[in-house]
Amino acid sequence: MARNWLEYKTPAWVQWCPGCGNYGILAAVQRAVAELDIDPKKLTIVSGIGCSGRETYYIKGSNMHVVHGRAIPAATGVKLAKPDQTVLAIGGDGDMLGIGVEHFVSVGRRNVNITVIVHDNSVYGLTKGQAGPTLPAWVQTKALPGPNLHDNLNPLLLAFASGYTFIARGYAYHVDQTKELIKQAIEHKGTSLVHILQPCPTYNNIMTKQWYEQRIYYLEEENPEWNPLVTSQQDLLQKMPTILEKLVEWGDKIPLGVFYRNISKDTFEERLGKIILNYQEYPPGKRPIAIDGKPLVNPWEVFKEKVIQT
Amino acid sequence: MGNSPDLLLLIGGPQGGGIESAGQIALKTLILKGYSVIGTRDYKSNIMGAHSYYTIRARFDRPGAIRFPVDAAVALDAESILTHFDDVRPGGIFVYDKGSLHTKIDAIQPMEQALKERLKKLFADKGLPPIAESAIKLAEEKGVRLIPLPMRQLVRKLAEITGASLTSVARAVNTIGLTAMLYLMGIEPRCVEKAIATHFAAKKKVVAINVEASKLAVDYVEENFGAPSEFLPDGPHRGKKVMLATGNEVVAMGKITGGLTFQSYYPITPASDEAIYMEKFRYHQLTSEAEAKLGTPKLGTVIVQTEDELSAIIMAIGAASAGARAATSTSGPGFALMNEAISLAIMAEVPVVITIWQRGGPSTGLPTKEGQQDLLHALFSGHGDNPKIVLASGDHVEAFYDAIKLLNWAEKYQTPVIHLVDKYLASTTTVLYQDEIDPGKAVIERGWRVENPTTEKRYMITDTGISPFIPIGGDTMIITGLEHTEEGFPTEDPVLRDEMVEKRRRKFETIAKEIPAEEKVILHGDPDAKVTLVSWGSTKPIILESLKILEEKGVKANFLQIRLFYPFPVKEVLDVLSRAETVINIEQNDLLQAAFLIKGFTGYDIKHHIKKTNGRAFWDTEIANAVLEILETGKREVVVKGGA
Repeated sequence: MARNWLEYKTPAWVQWCPGCGNYGILAAVQRAVAELDIDPKKLTIVSGIGCSGRETYYIKGSNMHVVHGRAIPAATGVKLAKPDQTVLAIGGDGDMLGIGVEHFVSVGRRNVNITVIVHDNSVYGLTKGQAGPTLPAWVQTKALPGPNLHDNLNPLLLAFASGYTFIARGYAYHVDQTKELIKQAIEHKGTSLVHILQPCPTYNNIMTKQWYEQRIYYLEEENPEWNPLVTSQQDLLQKMPTILEKLVEWGDKIPLGVFYRNISKDTFEERLGKIILNYQEYPPGKRPIAIDGKPLVNPWEVFKEKVIQT
Repeated sequence: MGNSPDLLLLIGGPQGGGIESAGQIALKTLILKGYSVIGTRDYKSNIMGAHSYYTIRARFDRPGAIRFPVDAAVALDAESILTHFDDVRPGGIFVYDKGSLHTKIDAIQPMEQALKERLKKLFADKGLPPIAESAIKLAEEKGVRLIPLPMRQLVRKLAEITGASLTSVARAVNTIGLTAMLYLMGIEPRCVEKAIATHFAAKKKVVAINVEASKLAVDYVEENFGAPSEFLPDGPHRGKKVMLATGNEVVAMGKITGGLTFQSYYPITPASDEAIYMEKFRYHQLTSEAEAKLGTPKLGTVIVQTEDELSAIIMAIGAASAGARAATSTSGPGFALMNEAISLAIMAEVPVVITIWQRGGPSTGLPTKEGQQDLLHALFSGHGDNPKIVLASGDHVEAFYDAIKLLNWAEKYQTPVIHLVDKYLASTTTVLYQDEIDPGKAVIERGWRVENPTTEKRYMITDTGISPFIPIGGDTMIITGLEHTEEGFPTEDPVLRDEMVEKRRRKFETIAKEIPAEEKVILHGDPDAKVTLVSWGSTKPIILESLKILEEKGVKANFLQIRLFYPFPVKEVLDVLSRAETVINIEQNDLLQAAFLIKGFTGYDIKHHIKKTNGRAFWDTEIANAVLEILETGKREVVVKGGA
């Protein structure tokens, strides 16, 4: 049973500029969690710093707003402490792919069951328009004193190389389609990326609504047979050339949709459960630690390898 | 305890060559003899080949300090001979490998160039050639008893006896050297053999080889140097059940006993051994009472090795926000990376313990050597107004209970808590008795936690400054680093901002009030003594030894150990300092960081200081001598420099 998406609104004033792509993403997330019937208490949005970081205040959940670039490790901590929580780490391209890129990479190695949503406008909005990690070289957006000298990073390819098991791209003004991508990402078991292209009407006067809309297309529109599902290592090797071709496509044509969905890898929580056998029942955020203020363990028994009878 | 022998022993050798194992066997031998022991490992930032050594002290009551010169040493390679020939007292024993005598100083690649130059000059001044044998000559002149062992022949013989290959018996050279030393010091071979069996436990073949090695050593020593005139008396601890553990291990034990459910860390010396040890026990057995009540025999502590320290601290903060009892563990450089998150945890009021295993800095500094240089770093970590609890443990027993208490305080007061420990504690092994590691004395408290809230607000403004802790998943909320309303929404309102600043300040007033005085400072010794020594951290047991030496020399001094550095115990510190005639501050850093804080918080300006910055822990004798020097000369500062 779906909930009314209005349940996920908060009293906070949404402070973004008029026309900001974030509005579309906010609506897409709210509708996705509503359609998935996620209790707001059981939803955790973790954000870093930047315009998109404010989303934690606009979506009703049990949320965290941390420091610049660190939404992913905070989200990982929440998820590992309470694996039944639905956890979304959100941030801009600067937050996720600039200052926090080491976490963007490392979460893929763990395949923690969280969803990473990158709001990509290729500029640092909140600090007034510096070049973001996805801005191509020689592009000079309006707040830059000269052209950008750095090449643009490919978030999808980086995620693929890092081990993400779900990779999708959406477009902020396509709320319905983006909502569907987010729903699939949340339902996927493992680390999922939804990379969302987002015009910044205030600072990015190059990659505008028109710029994007001349280029974007959906994978299954181009190819109704498009199938991103991977079920084994063998399957992966077979489909890799097709998937990679689409992951690197950028320029006159920019593909949207689900590029890759690998269901053959275990999540970090499943790996933990193989060592801590009752991990799911007694995760760190829920397990007892004492009975009437007394410890549950006796160090002389647990660490008996250190004990010597003289 | 009267008539106790007081033994100081040293075993030197290349890193990766079994020195750690030899040290542990020596400690176990002495424990089985009924003695109390400490042993510490000095090593270089290297995996294999550089010189490392293990120093041990044993007597009836627990020794508090290591010092040079030692009573006996084992040096089975040229670098060890050259590094330690002067570390044995006249009349002491120096066991060495005969085959290493002709090694030239310049041929020893891992050896520090500065030491080579010092030795070459020393030998040249005495008309001696720059080879290991010259060191032996100087030791002999000093009156050290020389015990040369033909290691190559002994190892070959060991291979013959055991039928094992030369490579598989090679490591037993340490056992040969060690047994020779212990036997000549008056320790029965049976204690060594039992220690070998205990140490290698299930590895039957290794036990057999080492027991044979031990027998071989005893036979050779008897034949060539004679048996010891008598064996040492047994110590008073025979028949007891004890633990033998390093500081790293004791903190890990404390955390697991204290109910830690989540630890994240990034590898760094000398901290990682704590997390690694915990990881070994991450799915641990509960007591039978707990098992009966909870219906599960085991519970887990999730340990995650992260990509860096930024992630380690933030992951712990995330887990703690979701209700985990969480900590991380690092050293100075790693803590530098954690600073921004400390500030977040203060503002967002997240309970997290950060264990800092200090080492010699600044920068990469002396990564494997002792230092107490992160006191100011800990206290002032994080940007903005940044109060957090900072406590330094003085020894293994304190560190065990502190690891538990600090988890309690973090949760009760919803704030980051810094546990300051250091490399000396980390790699010092000691014997621990049942009344010292007593889970019955441990109390676990979590403070005001609301799992299923009705009207509570996460950042509710209260008289105590403490809000209800509602874990993520318990209610809708926002945990945030922005200044916020009681619900966690951002605000820049001037009135509400001040109310929140004051709420957080009141919280620290509550903390200062609630933490018992005996947790803040400890005054050791006669409260009326005219001389007061002030120090903190792992210098505690060393200074307690120094007090005994001073008393023998007619100086009555007491020792103010500061444990809690924030909130700073102004009254408790001033009460003691204002009564003393002479106050001497002792620390292992150049800036005299504790003295700086004492002056800042209390206005009391300490006039005399003893410091050590060479990366080696203090010796009891050098502190005692420095105190005497200050009392005689009125000097402001004495820098002590002992150590190999």
